[in-house]
Amino acid sequence: MIFRRNKSGKPARPSPNELMPPEGVTLTLPVAGVGVRIAAQITDILLTGIAAGALLLLLSVTGLINPQSLFVIAILLFFLIRVPYYICAELAWNGQTLGKRIMKIKVVSHDGRSLSAHALVLRNLMKEAEVFLPGTLLLTLDAASPVSSLLSLGWVIICLAIPCFDRYRRRLGDMMAGTHVIHLPVPVLLADLASEPQRAGVNQSKFVFLSYQLDHYGAFELQTLEGLLRNESQRPQAGQDDRRDATIEVIVEKIRNKIGYADPVPTEDRLAFLRAFYNAQRKHLEQRQLFGDRRENKHYAENGEENS
Amino acid sequence: MSAETDQDLIRSARFRQEREADWRRLETLVQAAESRGLQRMDFAESRDLASLYRQATTSLAIAREISLDKALLGYLEALTARAYLCVYAPQEGLGGLIQRFLTTGAPQAMRRSWLYILLGILCMGLGALTGYLLYFESPDWYYVFMPDALGGGRGPDSTTEDLRSVIYDADPQASGLGVFATYLFSHNTRIAIFVFGLGVFACAPAILLTYYNGLIMGAFFALHVERGLGLDLLGWLSIHGVTELSAICIACGGGLKLGAAVLFPGERSRVDALRLAGRDAVKLALVAAIMLFAAALLEGFGRQLVQDRTTRLAIGWGVGALWLAWFAFGGRRRQ
Repeated sequence: MIFRRNKSGKPARPSPNELMPPEGVTLTLPVAGVGVRIAAQITDILLTGIAAGALLLLLSVTGLINPQSLFVIAILLFFLIRVPYYICAELAWNGQTLGKRIMKIKVVSHDGRSLSAHALVLRNLMKEAEVFLPGTLLLTLDAASPVSSLLSLGWVIICLAIPCFDRYRRRLGDMMAGTHVIHLPVPVLLADLASEPQRAGVNQSKFVFLSYQLDHYGAFELQTLEGLLRNESQRPQAGQDDRRDATIEVIVEKIRNKIGYADPVPTEDRLAFLRAFYNAQRKHLEQRQLFGDRRENKHYAENGEENS
Repeated sequence: MSAETDQDLIRSARFRQEREADWRRLETLVQAAESRGLQRMDFAESRDLASLYRQATTSLAIAREISLDKALLGYLEALTARAYLCVYAPQEGLGGLIQRFLTTGAPQAMRRSWLYILLGILCMGLGALTGYLLYFESPDWYYVFMPDALGGGRGPDSTTEDLRSVIYDADPQASGLGVFATYLFSHNTRIAIFVFGLGVFACAPAILLTYYNGLIMGAFFALHVERGLGLDLLGWLSIHGVTELSAICIACGGGLKLGAAVLFPGERSRVDALRLAGRDAVKLALVAAIMLFAAALLEGFGRQLVQDRTTRLAIGWGVGALWLAWFAFGGRRRQ
């Protein structure tokens, strides 16, 4: 009892995938993981590295620099290219560098407002301290100076660990700038099953469901059925695949038993039956929802008692 | 579809049918905005984008209440999210941003965080004083503080003539760009980056590093004072050092500001405090970066060209006064 009270007493935190824009309707923007962000970072490093290398080649061909200071100038060029690159790219492409564009991720403001230039500058300057400094330190590690090597190793581990333990996978620069990185959602509008034209020769209206027959299932089962029907409608020809037909038969029988639908369903009408049932069930559930009776799944009755 | 069948549709299907054309239009507008950029869209398009986006958020809120069509919900979620990202894109250009930073942002941030910068200067000054006094106690301290690479072979063992020849060396070996790059990535720049970056880990590393840097400088200075080269070294250091050491102190101030936010967040959460302190700290870091760049220019070109002690002193402290004037008078509102 004590445990349960503690659990329910905790205020529920909003999911990290939700963002509240000024319009006040929460949007779902899934947070990008550490892996995909490292991939984008490596792409960017490669691109800026190639640019710096090309410029260095040009300079050495024209004889502007002497070979002794080649290494230092290479570092300088890489630095001078990458710092403005990240800031300008994210400003111009609305929070995306080329690497982020390829990986289809994007920086958003944590509070749902528009990205400020200050935030983009800050998070990319901190990148110097968080990504490039530890990176160069790792490259220069040697066994001769164990103390400084251990210190830089500790720094690298801390910088990597912070995003792993944060709910929004923010690195230090993101926290300071008030941003986090999300996956870009792709809008695809599929046809509405309920308003799809009926197939020729099959009359759905011959299946009639009564109100008590529709009280067995909830939204989860409805949407699972929706997925199944979408897959069915994408298949070129019904009735070719035996295993598929067997599955459909099992589902139809299950539903018939559960809701107490007495009439047997002939083989050729099975899909039509499922469609008719989907329409009736959705209409029923949506109507219940309008009256404040939200049914998440088929266990809605038990859950309702527990809560009250 | 005829009116008869419209009535047959269930409520959520009708809801979708009435609005689908608008959503499709919003989708094409979002695509246009993403590929061409908001600035290049014509007036009617951007107006429609904004109003259709707000309609779509309303549709999404309603659909969450009335519809159980998973495909519709997913589509609306993704569409409004994409449209939101377009509508709330940053509108500011880069040119205006740089101008605002130089004229108002940076000097105001410097004035706001004067206490932290003072702390940074204090750290370095105390370090220098300690190093100076310790050297006169025993020159062996010099070897304790000074990293081998930094002294360039100069130490208590070298002759006065050697020391003088380094200070007035009119024979630069490498070409201009190479020297410039070498100086930019020299010891002091690395110290400045570390001092700022490490400040966030509870201040202590930033203070220690700045203090240590002061120790090195104090011992180095004491070595030259002992040989009667104090004023000459001051000239040699001043021409870039006034700018460079101030940059380290400013970077230290920025680091301390971040560290203080982590240590003493007050009423806010630590992340919030860090974000608030970051607004000024990043400006301090940028100022320090600009100053380090200027210092590398002065060191790479100015020091070889100017061999006279008084001119070196005048240039060094003159540039320092210019920085101070920028911080003190920049971005004040006219009465």
